[in-house]
Parts: sequence; C-alpha cells; structure tokens
Amino acid sequence: MDQILFALLNGTIYGLLLFMVSAGLTLIFGMMGVLNFAHASFYMLGAYFAYTLQPLTGFWLAIILAPVLVMGVGILVERFILRHVHEHGHAHELLVTFGLSVVIAEMIKMVYGKFAVDYRVPAELNFAAFTLSGIDYPFYRLFMGGIAVVMFIAIYLLLTKTRVGIVVRSAIYRPQMVEALGHNVPMVFMGVFGIGAALAGLAGAVAGAFYTTNPNMALELGVMVFVVVVVGGLGSMGGAMAASLLIGITNSLAVGSDFRIADLLTWIGMGGWAEEIGGMLTMRMSSLAATLPFFIMLLVLVLRPSGLMGEKE
Amino acid sequence: MKYAPLLLLLTVAVLVALPWLVSGSMLNAAVQMLIAALFAMAFGLLCGQAGLLSFGHAAYFGVGAFAAVHAMNAFGGEGLLPTPLLPLVGGATGLVSGLLAGYFSTKRTGVYFAMITLALAELLHALAPHLKTVFGGEAGVSSFRMPAWGIGFGSLNDVYFLTLVWTLLCIGLLYLFSKTPLGRLALGLRENAHRLRFLGYNTHALGTLIFAVSAMFAGVAGALQSMNIEAANYVVLESHISTAVVLNSFIGGVRVFLGPAIGGAVMTFFGHVTSDLTRVWLLYQGIIFVLVMMFLPRGIVGELVERLRSPGSEGFAGTLGTTLMRLASLAVAAFGGVFLVEFLQRFLSAEYRAGVQEGIWPNITLFSHDWAPLSVLPWGFGFGLFGLGIALVVMVNRRVAARKEAQA
Repeated sequence: MDQILFALLNGTIYGLLLFMVSAGLTLIFGMMGVLNFAHASFYMLGAYFAYTLQPLTGFWLAIILAPVLVMGVGILVERFILRHVHEHGHAHELLVTFGLSVVIAEMIKMVYGKFAVDYRVPAELNFAAFTLSGIDYPFYRLFMGGIAVVMFIAIYLLLTKTRVGIVVRSAIYRPQMVEALGHNVPMVFMGVFGIGAALAGLAGAVAGAFYTTNPNMALELGVMVFVVVVVGGLGSMGGAMAASLLIGITNSLAVGSDFRIADLLTWIGMGGWAEEIGGMLTMRMSSLAATLPFFIMLLVLVLRPSGLMGEKE
Repeated sequence: MKYAPLLLLLTVAVLVALPWLVSGSMLNAAVQMLIAALFAMAFGLLCGQAGLLSFGHAAYFGVGAFAAVHAMNAFGGEGLLPTPLLPLVGGATGLVSGLLAGYFSTKRTGVYFAMITLALAELLHALAPHLKTVFGGEAGVSSFRMPAWGIGFGSLNDVYFLTLVWTLLCIGLLYLFSKTPLGRLALGLRENAHRLRFLGYNTHALGTLIFAVSAMFAGVAGALQSMNIEAANYVVLESHISTAVVLNSFIGGVRVFLGPAIGGAVMTFFGHVTSDLTRVWLLYQGIIFVLVMMFLPRGIVGELVERLRSPGSEGFAGTLGTTLMRLASLAVAAFGGVFLVEFLQRFLSAEYRAGVQEGIWPNITLFSHDWAPLSVLPWGFGFGLFGLGIALVVMVNRRVAARKEAQA
C-alpha cells in the first residue's frame, strides 16, 4: 500500500513537471500556431544555466536568474529567427525550431561535455519530508511539485483575472481584431514566447538538480512532452494537465510493477505458450515503463484521434 | 534545363568509374554517400511530395538494417536470398513496418504527424534493448556477405557497385513512382487534403500507402548500410539518424526531385572530410540547416534550379556577379565564424582545461598559428572577420536593392 502511495506521489510530481513544460508549448502553439520543437531545449538550457550560476550566486538566486536568461534566449529566437521565417508557413517554423534544438544540444555538448554535469540538490533542501514504513520521502520532490502548482495558479490568474490576460487570450482567437483595437500583437507574441521559454527554463533549473543534467535531457523530456500534447490535444491547457498526470502516474506505477503479459495469459491457460514465445510477452512491466506512454498515445490515436480534450480538426 | 539528361548521364558515368579514380577511404565515403542519398530520397518522397514531415525515419532505416542482417544469417549463414538480392528483404520489412506505423501516424496531419513519427521511433528505440533475440542487445547482430553469382563481395569495389546499382535503381523507381497516379495524388495530399477528400479519395489510406513506400526505400537504404558494415546495432535506431536525414534533405531542398539526394551525399561527404579536422561537425550541420531554412527556404538545390530557370531582370551575367560577391562575403563571415567556434571548442575542451595550471593559460594552436587565449587577438580576429563578412553581405544586398529600385 505504501509502495503504491509513493508511486502515486512520484507520478503526480513527474506529471506536474511535464505539465510545466507542456503548458508553455501549448500556450505558444495556441497563440502563434507554432509547434516549438526547441521548447524542451529551453528546459535543458534552464538546467545548465542554473548549474553554471549556482556556485556564483547560490541555489536560490540561480533558479530565479536561470529562467530569466532562458526567457532572453526565447525572446531573441522569436524576434530574430521565427519572425523571419513566419511568411514561409508553420511547417517551416517547426523545421527552424527543430534545427535550433540541434544547435542548442551541440553547443551544450561543446561547452559542458557529452556527459552529465554534477548539478545537485543543495544540502539545505536535501532532507526527508516524511517517513512511511521506514522509507524516507525526499522533501525536494514536494518542492518541485509545489513550484509547479504555484506556477500553474499564477498563470491561471494572470490569464483570467488581468487585463494582460484578456489581451493575450483574445490575441489567440482574433489576432487581427486585437491589432485593430490598438494592441501591439507582435509584442504580445514575443512576450508569450518568452514566458513559455521561462517556464520551461524554470522547470529545468528545478528538476535538473534532482534528475540528471545531461545533453540528452532535452530529447528525453521533449519526446514525453510531445506524447502529452498528442494525448491531451494541442492547444488545450486542461488536456495538457490531464495527460501529464496520466502519463506521469502510469509511468511511475509501471516502474514499480512486476506484472508480465504472460501472467495475464496464464489466467486463461495460455501461460505456457506465452513463455515459449518470450519477447514482449515475458518482459516485466518495470522494463517496459519507458515505452508505456507511447502505447497510451497509440491507443488515444485509435480511439480518439483529436486527443482527450482537443477539438476536432 | 535542357542539359539535365546530359548532366545526369555524366554523373552516372563518373559514379561507375569512381573506384578507379579515388582512394579506398574515399570509396568508403562514397558508399556512405550513396546510402545517405537513397535514405534522403525516401524521406523526400514523404516530406517533399506528400508534405508529411517525419522526425522518426531512423526506425524504418534501422528495421531494414536488422532485417538484412538476419536474412544474411538465415539457414546457418547460407542467407535467405543471394547477397545481391538481400536489400529486397530490407525493403519488404520496411514496407510492412511502414504500413503499420503509417496507419497510426497518418491519422493526424501537420505537426501532430511529426510528433507521432518521433514518438514511434523513440518507442522502437526504447524497446530494442529489451528484445535481445531480434536486436542483439548491446553487441548488436553481425554477419558476413556470402559470395553469389560469381562475385565475391569481399572487396570494397564489389560493395560499392552493389550499393551503386541499388541506389540508382531505387532512385529510378522513385522517379517513376512520382509519375504514377498514386505519386500525383501525393502532391494533392500536400497541396490540399480537404479537396482530395471532397473528390472521394480516402486520404488516410493514401497517406498510409505513401508512408509505407517511403519506409520501404528507407528499409532498402538500411539494408545496404548493414550489408556494407556486415553488422547492425540498435544505434541505427537512435534519433540522430532521423535528425541527419531531415537536415540533409532540407539543406538540399525537398521540393526538387534530386534535392534530398544531393543534400544527403554532399553533407555526408563534408562530414567524412571534416571528421579529422573538427569535433563539432554536427553543430555546423545544424547551423547550416537553420541558415538555409531562414535565407534559402527552397534548399540549396531548389534555389539553384529556381535561379537557372528565371535569371531575373539583371540578366545572367548580373546575377552571376552579385551571386559571386555574396558568396565571397559569406566566405569571409564563415571563416570568422568557423575560427570562433573552433577556438572556443579547443578553449573549452577537457584536455585544454586539464592543462591549465595556476593561472597559466597555454597557447592554442589553430590554423597553424599559436594564439594566446586571454589576449584580445584571437577573439578580435574571429569577430572582426565575422562582422566584416556580414557587413559586406548587407552592402551587396543594399546595392542590389538600390539597383532594382532605380530600374523600377
């Protein structure tokens, strides 16, 4: 029982982290129609910036400054690269951000080397939050979850309760009309892009210390975020939230499970056959955990191609 | 474009004569170039003609590679088919896996399609290490080429000709495919899928079919690759293979028929040539890709074809003049940029940092010159050349714009 409780908690927190990155992606897509392939690269940049700043400024200032720097990078990318290729269409913008993700990953490899860097949770945050049946639960996980929740509430309030939020939301639906009313829409786009990048950077700065910070982290998380977005339905915040939690929780439940498909087949008397076939049928759930989100995605594609909460195309 | 068939014949003639013209190492590079060209063409069919952008084409390349190795090992090393026909196995496996993956991925179009293809490739990549019997775990699966039809297939020359024949054959088939009704419908899918649906076509089935054909040719390329190195490892399923084919094809230009092939071959050639000179070739590849996407959206070959077709108002000589001036200024900027990147790479490398002791920073040798890293000289040199080149490009552009204004 405690095992399952831990798995649920871990999964929820991983899901919240996924949401922090996919929220920015969804926001940018909903607003500009651009799928920013480099979004997960911003997550990685956040982690590396925080790692670099930490010895100079201490942990707290580092996780505040790193997202600001990432926001700067995001704004530069939007202003000088994306806006330049906007006239060639959305596919072109996707390709350019794809190229950028390659360039960013290679630059990181050049500057920090190909292997993981030693970016760790600071000692003052490295303690157990509570103990259940002899197992300590790290406080830092709760801290990551807390930051994600606070960010979510802040964005929600910003979008629904302020004037800026109204302009942003209306610029998503009717950009020309908003421009006609005298708002600087390109500026709004740049701001949204920057905020989205900063969110990913913050997620990276906080999570990089707990998980590993290496040049592959962008790809690993990026693929998960894309799965989240396909499952949840692109452009839907609620869908992104639901899909992030779904994938986070199934993932962490699967990691701790010894279940095999062969065991299921034993119930209907086909266990022997399954053992003979081997391969996928006798693999433990725990080793399949990394592939589970992809199967969820395929299932959603067959049953509900527009995603859990997406609109019909 | 009346010289096109002549140019094509000349290229084929040079390719056939290549083993007598270049060294063994270069011939090895030529095999890689041919494989990259075929793979890029398969990708170009899906992306350029049908407008479906796949970020996970390594999966079908890898599936073909593993199928070929297993076919070579079949019947106790006898081989499922004679060696020259083994790429057929890769193609068939690619076709089947393409039908399956295509069914799922073409359920959506646009950016969703791109994300699904990436996720499917990552799924295979995550699954492969666990399926030891198929993918051979860490070590991979190895094999060796059996002699067949009186050919030994032991020497590099034999392998080269095998690859050349298959590559030319497949590119020819792809050309013919683009002329079939299905090939023409692919263009329709790219231009206006809605309208195709109104006309009564099943766009999902159409997309799946084109995806499968593209995966089939990718499988052939993969089979040629594993036959060349006589082994397959799950590294071929990694994302950088998918990335490379996207970058190469778009640098060449996906909308012109041979654009992807030329892009693939040229970039592989540069990758081979520079592999001794630089450690950050992938960075250059990425930067070239971003620059091409920003300034030559049709790709390099696409832009060339366009220029040759319509030389513009200044006439051929005028265009040539400005193009040469632009290229010269770009070369200056590129030299400055490359200098900076290489200097930075050496400055930041682990070996150099290990050599730094007590505040003494040893000199860095670059372009047969010693540079002191803490002096202003190398940085000034690099940034200066880079800035000068950019300024020259801007100047040329302004002059061209002014001339156009004066004419109008």
